Amino acid sequence: MVSAQSAEVGGPTRRRPPLPVKLVIAGGFGVGKTTTVGSISEISPLTTEADMTAAAAGIDDASKVPGKRTTTVAMDFGCITIDESLKLYLFGTPGQDRFGFMWDDLAIGAIGALVIVDSRRLDDCYPAVDYFERLGLPFVVAVNRFDGAVAHDLPSIRWALAVDDAVPLTTFDARDKLSVRDALLVVLDRALAKARAAQTDQ
Amino acid sequence: MTTDKTPPERAAGALVRPFLSGASNGAGDQADLPVPDGALRPFLLTAGRVAGQDSIAIETQVVTTESGRTAVERLGFERRDIVSLCGDPLSVAEIAAQLSLHLGVVRVLVGDLSADGHLSVYLPNSDASTDVDTLLRVIRGLRSIG
Repeated sequence: MVSAQSAEVGGPTRRRPPLPVKLVIAGGFGVGKTTTVGSISEISPLTTEADMTAAAAGIDDASKVPGKRTTTVAMDFGCITIDESLKLYLFGTPGQDRFGFMWDDLAIGAIGALVIVDSRRLDDCYPAVDYFERLGLPFVVAVNRFDGAVAHDLPSIRWALAVDDAVPLTTFDARDKLSVRDALLVVLDRALAKARAAQTDQ
Repeated sequence: MTTDKTPPERAAGALVRPFLSGASNGAGDQADLPVPDGALRPFLLTAGRVAGQDSIAIETQVVTTESGRTAVERLGFERRDIVSLCGDPLSVAEIAAQLSLHLGVVRVLVGDLSADGHLSVYLPNSDASTDVDTLLRVIRGLRSIG
């Protein structure tokens, strides 16, 4: 029995499930994605294996690459109950630094993405920035303050990443719940602005 | 989903994944392994079927039905585990994680159990992520985290 989320639930089930929404937590290997999820999730981050299409970083369309293949990767995620009928899932992209990944499974239908950056290894986040730009998904670049320090100032980081001025750039501490919350709220603000603009256009 | 049944041609150095030990040694090393591609193995649980899984998003909510509760003792292994687990709504991703099953496997099994009437599957509303009211609710919910 498959029902649309908005459909009436028939008698057989006990409880109507919450409406699920999701955010993607992306970035290079070891940048603090799982820490970020774990800081704010109401459950310990869970890990599941999923298939991702891998292609060399910077290639636009994996389907045109003869060497592309599907590979199984581990993916961490957590969740936050917003209210009794709305649940927010946080999905961390599998950590890869040498290959671009097609994260369609995670990204399609997502509210937006938080791209976490280690200011000492900026290029690790390029595949994520490329991917979300192409997809048109609202995203925010968040520099994880390892040990309280950021190796470069934000204008230098923005210049190095070559992201549009409209893309918010912020710093946060992946270990700190409220800091993670605030970074997610920046993503939500960006998504809300986009949704309101689309509403006005109609 | 596309799963390469034969090892892809590896142009020298073009697709070397550091996390696959020996992957850079060329296609020859594949012959030594009993299962040529680890990605294929989980799908033995679904008799090789992978179709239909794309329609079930990872955040899709799943709940066991009355029929599922009645049938649970007659179901085998993973199917029984899923039906037992979903007395309260769970996402496909949580099912996969809690049962240590591949996400793709869970999608196929959930699709089967749903077709048999043992599970209710609530496909997520694809407009929710761009709906102003929903986004405002998420913002309020996050702000209330202290």
